[in-house]
Amino acid sequence: MTAAALAVPGCATYPDGETARQLGEKMVSEAYPGMPEALVKRAVQDRPQALCTKIGKASLTREEAAEVVALSRASLRYPASGKLVGDWQAGARLAYSGTGSRIRGGRVEKAKENGALCSNCHMLDPGEINAGNLGPSLAAYGTQRGGSEELAKYAYERIYNAWAFVPCSTMPRLGAGHHLTPEQIADVVAYLIDPQSPVNRRR
Amino acid sequence: MPTSVMRDRIAVFLIAGFAASGAAFAQGKPADPLAVGRQLLAEDNPGDLWVQRGERLFHEKRGPGRASLERCDFGLGAGKLDGAFARMPRYFPDTDRVQDLESRLLTCMVELQGFQREEVIRNAFSTLDRNSDMEALASYVASRSNGMKMHVTLDHPREREMYKAGEYLFHRRNGPTDFACVSCHGDDGRRIRLQDLPNMTDAAQMRAVIAGWPAYRGTQGTVRTMQHRLYDCNWQMRLPDLGFASDMSIALTTYLNYSGNGAVIQVPGVRR
Repeated sequence: MTAAALAVPGCATYPDGETARQLGEKMVSEAYPGMPEALVKRAVQDRPQALCTKIGKASLTREEAAEVVALSRASLRYPASGKLVGDWQAGARLAYSGTGSRIRGGRVEKAKENGALCSNCHMLDPGEINAGNLGPSLAAYGTQRGGSEELAKYAYERIYNAWAFVPCSTMPRLGAGHHLTPEQIADVVAYLIDPQSPVNRRR
Repeated sequence: MPTSVMRDRIAVFLIAGFAASGAAFAQGKPADPLAVGRQLLAEDNPGDLWVQRGERLFHEKRGPGRASLERCDFGLGAGKLDGAFARMPRYFPDTDRVQDLESRLLTCMVELQGFQREEVIRNAFSTLDRNSDMEALASYVASRSNGMKMHVTLDHPREREMYKAGEYLFHRRNGPTDFACVSCHGDDGRRIRLQDLPNMTDAAQMRAVIAGWPAYRGTQGTVRTMQHRLYDCNWQMRLPDLGFASDMSIALTTYLNYSGNGAVIQVPGVRR
């Protein structure tokens, strides 16, 4: 039975939010014909994504926010080595790479590794103008905050799963979503806090 | 594609790129350094070539059915093109579907001309060595609404379903980036790197978007339709290839075009 048959056609408020959601989800399930099942799964929402889908100016309830934070905290994983600060030069390459994991013609692009996508949205090295502004500037991230172990852990966890700190933030859950490995995130942390990194160099 | 057309495309793109870099240097302004190049392109719009080719294809007897598209009904009656695009997407009783411009063209190419549906879809987006009839036909039919205002109505329940599902999909977080459309298109003055992002929750900015699709894209050297624009956003979000003429694509277009109602259509637009 179609959704149209469930309600009174012509009613000004038709369809309601839940009906619209069901219609939308059905469309998603049919939107990727001929694509491999493993790739189609990418479009299936996990629980936090579903909770974070709000229409217009609607906002999270207190309970929903708490659930997103709890699920996100539970997702955190760390490098086997225990080292949360890696190689800042490797981190620099990652931070400016926006490639990896994109799909064309049903195939995932060939790339040695996924880029960390940082500069798409954040200013990092203040000398590089090709940076987005969807997220805050991270220039001088380390010098402004000091390079403590606590900062490294905070930065690591924030990149691994930003929703553990700001539920439903625009920032992708780069570790929890398996876009980056724990070791790659440690490299990006080094790029943010190492005094030698262009992010922190005084000019 | 004829080599001369290819050469023209490349030449236009090189000139635009050159003009843009000179302008950016003169202004010393980081945001949108390509704006001047786009302005130059718009004044001598290469997209007009797609309109001309589309007009020829529209009236030509083509396909196994040896038929033109003159009997295709875009909602105002068979062959009535003036103002038809300005009312799309809309509900079509013959297919019992809400259809956008491209999916309606697809229906007519299959039903009237006898083309294979899968083949039309496979060739819907042009590549560097293959033209797309769909891109030319969409340019032509859409251009017959030039100077008119976008005026999508939601009188039919199926149109309301499409609009509300589109609104939901616009806000739906998903995929490896956790993005929804609104993640990048929900605030003023945002950029991905140096690319300006229109705020699609703002009516004036939405109208500016809707006024210019289909659009000649300088980075791609061809006219792209809204179907391709949505497919490309999906690609950037690390989602699978969005099905051409899928209900999801039509729902999003219904939401976007309705939100852009009042936009004075002038297509093909010129975009990055």
